[in-house]
Amino acid sequence: MKEKLKKLSDYKWLIPKDARSGMRVDAIFYANKSILDTVEDTAIQQLTNVACLPGIIEPVLGMPDMHWGYGLPMGAIGAFDKEKGVISCGCTGFDINCGIHMLRTNLLADEVKSKLNDLISTLFHTIPCGVGARGKLRLSNKELSKVFTNGVRWAVENGYGIPEDLERIEENGCIKGADPSKISNHAMNRGAPQLGTLGAGNHFLEIQAVDEIYEQEIAKVFGINQKGQITIMIHCGSRGLGHQVATDYLKIHSSAARKYGIRLPDPQLVCAPTTSNEGQDYFSAMKGAANYAFCNRQIIAHWVRESFAQVFKKSWESMEMNTIYDVCHNICKLEEHTINGKKREVYVHRKGATRAFPPGHIDVPIVYRKVGQPVLIAGSMGTASYILIGTDKAMVESFGSSCHGAGRAMSRHAAIKRFRGETVKRELESRGKTVRSTHPKILAEEAPGAYKDVDAVVESVHKAGISKKVARVIPLGIAKG
Amino acid sequence: MKYKFLEDLTSDVMFEAYGRSLEELLENSALAMFSVVCDIKKVRALKSIKIEISSPDEQSLLHTWLSELLTQSEINCMFLSKFKVKRIETIDGLHLFGTASGEDMSPKLGETVVKGVTYYGFKLEKTDSGYKAQVALDI
Repeated sequence: MKEKLKKLSDYKWLIPKDARSGMRVDAIFYANKSILDTVEDTAIQQLTNVACLPGIIEPVLGMPDMHWGYGLPMGAIGAFDKEKGVISCGCTGFDINCGIHMLRTNLLADEVKSKLNDLISTLFHTIPCGVGARGKLRLSNKELSKVFTNGVRWAVENGYGIPEDLERIEENGCIKGADPSKISNHAMNRGAPQLGTLGAGNHFLEIQAVDEIYEQEIAKVFGINQKGQITIMIHCGSRGLGHQVATDYLKIHSSAARKYGIRLPDPQLVCAPTTSNEGQDYFSAMKGAANYAFCNRQIIAHWVRESFAQVFKKSWESMEMNTIYDVCHNICKLEEHTINGKKREVYVHRKGATRAFPPGHIDVPIVYRKVGQPVLIAGSMGTASYILIGTDKAMVESFGSSCHGAGRAMSRHAAIKRFRGETVKRELESRGKTVRSTHPKILAEEAPGAYKDVDAVVESVHKAGISKKVARVIPLGIAKG
Repeated sequence: MKYKFLEDLTSDVMFEAYGRSLEELLENSALAMFSVVCDIKKVRALKSIKIEISSPDEQSLLHTWLSELLTQSEINCMFLSKFKVKRIETIDGLHLFGTASGEDMSPKLGETVVKGVTYYGFKLEKTDSGYKAQVALDI
């Protein structure tokens, strides 16, 4: 499939709709040449599969962190017509609203380095992580339903945050229209013991230091003032609750695709017409799962504040541990975009992709509206992460979207064969980083060498103009599930 | 051989499972999946969960069985290591009656979170010696 790509610029490649039969629209892949050379042909193929679905709006988009996924590749965006399109649980993925919550502090690296061991141990003790770790909260179904409908507001009302946090979260921490009655008992029961848990796999918690500031004035608005300043990044999602919502609707959408005669180029691209009960039921359930994920990250963020307060023996407020932002990486949203010169509402599926709305956009929180929406990009373990900002060009070209992380370059099994957890840990420690995991194997699976170069990924979206670099942070302490 | 893992998917895992009967294939597929979730050699069969599911055909029965086991494992906070399909009734579709056994979850026995059972490359076929299935897991 790669041979059919046409170069549009050094960072933008076209997969024309005549590349294969059945494609209704073009696809675009954003990447520099070296990323393009290494991306899997099967991931490009998956972009063209999505281009075959009914009501798809041009173009289907692949970001530089794109890799093979299920249905829609990871690092991709597919937007559908509000009336004639589809809503697809396959295009959103199993981990609904997997995303990032980021905190800033007024601490500097020198103040933190000597306490890193203490901090990581306290965080590890306070925040349940890894497969098999149990959450500390026990919510009744009634309370859990409030989490689905109220999102982070539930957390703030129950003492896991402050009202100011709500102003610095995508959708203010609550996507409107969640309907708990569309979430199964199985999902409720699975989600109940897992609220306030980090999970495993690529989920992590990092203590970071600002390494580079590219846009001083914008960084200041986010509370980033100088190099060496400490930030904290939390990467996780909706846990078993979201996995179960996805599993339930995978079956429902599979039947719906047959019922409505939708031809699926890949069985994992199951979907339902946007106007059908099956489509709207999923949309309402997915919003509930997304709100649970926002809430999960908020609770963890609050425990991070309390852990720092315990180690430094002063209040988290005095360390100014404020939320920078919280973004979704796996989500479906009904958003207004300009298509062929006309404003239209469309269903945008982002899987392994970040919303990147520009300055002035009404959906950017008021506190950031002048500068644009923060786009939080997680690097691989031990490498840099980034804060970017949304741009007008993203609204024109990529449905207001950008990349989400480094993106895997090697499978987990291949990584386990190639790397040893203990060696990865030693190597990271020799570079001055403190690392803790539930299991050495997870460090092998998540070895930096198993991922793409995050700097090249970010440079590609920056140069393509669909987001702009604001600051780069590097990890000092890492906790893995 | 009960199961083997296939050529790697970039972000996930795919396995092939075998059985002389449909019941055995289902049990071996469950073993393959839980070998990704936890250290099945160390997880003791101390407690059992009843599993009762229905599906229109054999292929969807396998998908529902594996999904149900993942769900029950998390709802009951148990790692599972032993699976028994007691019987499959065939009146108006397929109705499975079985059990899954294991012990309370503890991080030292955990390996990876399996998010779900996908439809990618999902296959169940009859062979000369019984049944063979191919399953991809999202991890």
